[in-house]
Amino acid sequence: MASEAKKALLEPLFVNNPIALQILGICSALAVTTQLSVALIMCLALTAVTAFSNLSISLIRNHIPSSIRIIVQMTIIASLVIVVDQVLKAYAYQTSKVLAVFVGLIITNCIVMGRAEAYAMKNPPWPSFLDGIGNGLGYSLILIIVATIRELFGSGTLLGYTILAPVSQGGWYQPNGLMLLAPSAFIIIGLTIWAIRAYYPEQVEEPDFELQDAHQTPVQGGVH
Amino acid sequence: MSLLRRTLDNIYPHVTEGGKYHKFYALYEAVDTIFYSPADVNHGRNHVRDGIDLKRVMIYVWLAAMPTMLMGCYNVGLQANSVMQSMGITEVVGWRGDMLTLFGVGVDPNSVWDNFWHGFWYWFPIYMTVFIVGGFWEVLFASVRGHEINEGFFVTSILFSLIVPASLPLWQAALGISFGIVIGKEVFGGTGKNFLNPALTARAFLYFAYPAQLSGDAVWVAVDGYSSPTALSVAASGGLEALQNAGFTIQQSMTGYIAGSIGETSLIAIGIGALFLLYTKIASWRIMFGVAVGVILTSLMFNAIGSDTNPMFSVTPNWHFAIGGLAFGMVYMATDPVSASMTDWGRFWFGALVGLMTVLIRVVNPAFPEGIMLAILFANLFAPLIDWFVMQANIRRREKRYAKT
Amino acid sequence: MPRPKKVFMMRDIGRYQQGFLNLPNDNMAKTIIVATLLCLVCSIVVSTSATLLKPAQVANKLLDKKKNILMVSGISAESGEQSVDELFQRIETKVVDMSSGQYTEEVDAATFDQRRAANDPQYRVDLDKSQDIAQIGGRSKFASVYLVRDGDRVTKYILPVKGYGLWSTLYGFIALESDASTVSGITFYEHKETPGLGGEIENPRWQQVWIGKQLLDDQGRLALQVVKGEVTEVTPQAENKIDGLAGATLTSNGVSNLISFWMGDNGFGPYLERIRSAAPQPVSISSDYSNRG
Repeated sequence: MASEAKKALLEPLFVNNPIALQILGICSALAVTTQLSVALIMCLALTAVTAFSNLSISLIRNHIPSSIRIIVQMTIIASLVIVVDQVLKAYAYQTSKVLAVFVGLIITNCIVMGRAEAYAMKNPPWPSFLDGIGNGLGYSLILIIVATIRELFGSGTLLGYTILAPVSQGGWYQPNGLMLLAPSAFIIIGLTIWAIRAYYPEQVEEPDFELQDAHQTPVQGGVH
Repeated sequence: MSLLRRTLDNIYPHVTEGGKYHKFYALYEAVDTIFYSPADVNHGRNHVRDGIDLKRVMIYVWLAAMPTMLMGCYNVGLQANSVMQSMGITEVVGWRGDMLTLFGVGVDPNSVWDNFWHGFWYWFPIYMTVFIVGGFWEVLFASVRGHEINEGFFVTSILFSLIVPASLPLWQAALGISFGIVIGKEVFGGTGKNFLNPALTARAFLYFAYPAQLSGDAVWVAVDGYSSPTALSVAASGGLEALQNAGFTIQQSMTGYIAGSIGETSLIAIGIGALFLLYTKIASWRIMFGVAVGVILTSLMFNAIGSDTNPMFSVTPNWHFAIGGLAFGMVYMATDPVSASMTDWGRFWFGALVGLMTVLIRVVNPAFPEGIMLAILFANLFAPLIDWFVMQANIRRREKRYAKT
Repeated sequence: MPRPKKVFMMRDIGRYQQGFLNLPNDNMAKTIIVATLLCLVCSIVVSTSATLLKPAQVANKLLDKKKNILMVSGISAESGEQSVDELFQRIETKVVDMSSGQYTEEVDAATFDQRRAANDPQYRVDLDKSQDIAQIGGRSKFASVYLVRDGDRVTKYILPVKGYGLWSTLYGFIALESDASTVSGITFYEHKETPGLGGEIENPRWQQVWIGKQLLDDQGRLALQVVKGEVTEVTPQAENKIDGLAGATLTSNGVSNLISFWMGDNGFGPYLERIRSAAPQPVSISSDYSNRG
C-alpha cells in the first residue's frame, strides 16, 4: 500500500482522531453509546457513509461548481444516509429502533461533511475512500471504548451478555446509573482524550496564558 | 531548634530536587507546613502581611462544620434508636453493634450518649473512607504533577461526609469522592483551578449513578427495612398541608430531629457554623444574603402564582429554609471561595442565582426533590461569567467618570 | 454507488460531453446541469432502495409487534423452538369499538394501526381533562385486541395500553385471563424513563409481580394500583396492589394512571364488562399464576 494511502487510513485512528483531536461528531457519540451493539451498528453506518461520500465527491470533485459545493456534498451525504437508514430498518430493526433519529443525524455529523470538504474535494478517489474509512474507524474506536465502558458499568452487560450480574437480577453488581445518562459519555471521551494526549504530548494545545507561580520553592529548605 | 524541626530538616535534602525521594516532596511539604509556616518568601513587589493563609481558611471551615457534624451524629442515632424502639429491636446488627457493645453504649433513644455514638459509627466510617480515598488521589496528583497537597481537600472530605445519607454504602462514598476529587478538581489543576465544588460534584455523581442509595424514602434512617420520607419529599407530594399533617414543624428543623442527610437537618448547628464563618470573614455574607434573597423572592412568586396540581407552589419561604439541604448548602457550599464568583457584586448575583435555581428545581422539576445541589453546581458554571459582567460594568462606570471630568 | 454511474452516463453522451466537462465550473449552465443530474441520480438511488427494502421493513415492524404480544401472552416462554409467525397463529387479532365494547368490522384488524389512528382525525377521540387520567390527550375510537384461543375458548385477552410517566409516554401491553380481571402479564416496549429508576418498568422481575393480580376488588370496582413500597401477604387488598418502583414515584403513578384509564370506562371498560357478563368463568385458571406473584 502506498504510504500516502496508508497514512490516510491509519492516521485518523490515534494521531488525528476525529473525535479526540478534531472534536467532531460528539453529539452522536453521546447518544448511541449506552449499548455496545448499537454503537457498533452506528460505527458501521457512519464508516460506510463517510467512505462512500468521500469516494463519490472525490470522483466528481473537478466538476462541482463552487457556488453550490456544500449543497452538492449535502445531497450526496443525505442520499447515502437515507439508504443506510433504509437498510438498517430492513435488516437490523431492533437496533434501528434504538438508533432512531441518530442515523438520520449522520447527515449533520461534522466528520462526514468535514472530510468531504477538507479531503475529498482535493484528493483522488482511492485515497479519499481510504480517508473516509480511516476517519470512520477513528470515530468507531472512540465509540467502542465509550460504549464498552458505559454498557459494562451501566448495565453490567456487554453486547447483551451479562458480565457483572446486577443486583436487580439477583447478582452482586450495583449498576451505575450515571453511565446510562449522556453526560457520562462526555466524561469518558474527556478521559480518553486525556489518555491519548498523555501518549502524544504534541496534541496538547498551547495554553492561552501562563499561570504565574504564586510562590517559589525555597532555595534552602525549611529554614525560618 | 526542636527535634521535629531537626528531623524535617534532615529529611529535606532527600525530597528536594535531585534527592532520592523527590516524588514525595508534596507529602513532606504538607507535613512541614502543618507544624511550621512555609519558608516561601514573596518575590514580587507587592507584599501583604496577614495571619490568614489557605491552610487557616480551610481549618476554619472544617471547624465551622463541627456543630453540624455533632448534631448530625446525634440525630442519626436518635432517628435510628427511636425507630428501633418502636420496632422492638434492641440490638444493632453487624460491626456497628460490636463497636457499640465494645464501648458499652446502649440504644436508648432518650440517652444523648447512646444516640451520639450510634450515629457516630455511621458518620465516622464514611468520613474515614472519604478522607483516605480522597487523600490518596490528592497525594497521587500532587506527586505526579509536582504541586503541593492542598488543604481544600480537608474541607471537601468533611463536607461531603455531611451531605450524604447515613446509610450510604462505604464503597459508594469512596467512588463518589474519587470522582469529586479527580474529575471535579484535579483534572483542572487542583485547588484554586476547579470551577465546580468538588464535594457537590462527588454527591451529584452518586446521585445520578446510584439514585436508590441517595434518594427515595428508604435511605434516611439507618435501620434496615425502615423507610421514612424526608420533609422535602413530603412537601413535594402534598405541599404545606402534607407537611403539617405528617407532623413536621419548623421547631423540628431548628433542632434538626428529622430525617435527612447527616449534617443538613439542624438549623441551629448550621447557624452556629454560619456565624463563625461570617465572624472570621471566611465565608462571604454577600453570597449567603444573595441565596436568601433569591429563595425568598422566587418562593413568594410561586406562592402568588399558585397551582392546583403542584402542591410545592404553596410552600412558603420559611419552610423552604427549614426543609432539605438549602441551609447547609447556602452556608457551606455556595460560599466556597474557589468555585463561587469573586467580585463583591458578582457574589450577590451568584447567590441570588443559587436561590432562584434551588426553588425552581424544588417546585417545578418533578424528578429531583432537592434543588440546592444542582443549583450550586449550575451557578458554579456561571460564576466566571457573572464576574465578567460585573467587571465590564465597573469598567464602563469608570470610563464614564473619566469622560465627564 | 451514485457517482461512478453518473460519470459513466456522461461518457455516453458522446462528443458533447468533453465540451461540457471543459466548461468552467462556475458557468451557469454547467451549475444547473450538474445540480439536476445530481438530484436525478440521488433520487433514483434513494427511491430504489426505499422501494426494494419496503417489504422487509414492514415485515420487521410487524414481527416486532408480534414478539411483544407473544411475550406478554406468555406463549413465547413456553415453546422456544417455533418461529414468531408460527406462534402468532395462536393469537387472533380483533378490533374493538371502545365506546360500545363490541368487535367491529369497520377496519381491517390485520392492518389497523392503533398508534397512528390515535392521531388520525377520522378515528381520534379527544379526551377532556377529567377523563384523561393517563395524560394522552386523546385516543383512537377503535382499539386492537389480541385473543389467545384454546379451541373455542378465549384464554387470554391482550390489550394495548399507553400513558404518560415522568418524562415520556409509556407504551405497553397488558394480558388478562379469561375472567377479564386477573392479570397474566404486562410489558412495556417503548419509554424514555430514567434508567435505573423509572426505567425499571422494563425489569422482568417487576413485571413478574403483576401476574395473578386482580383488576377488580371484592366489590367489582376497578382497583389495581401501583403503590409506594413493597406489597406483602399482609398488605390489605394485596391482590389489587403492585410494588412501587423505588425512587420512581412519578413513573409508578403513571403506570397506575394508565391502568385506571385503559381498564376504566373511557378505555376498555365497556369491552371488559361485556366479556365478564357474557362468559362468567371460574377464576380458578388464575390460581396457577397467583403463586408466582
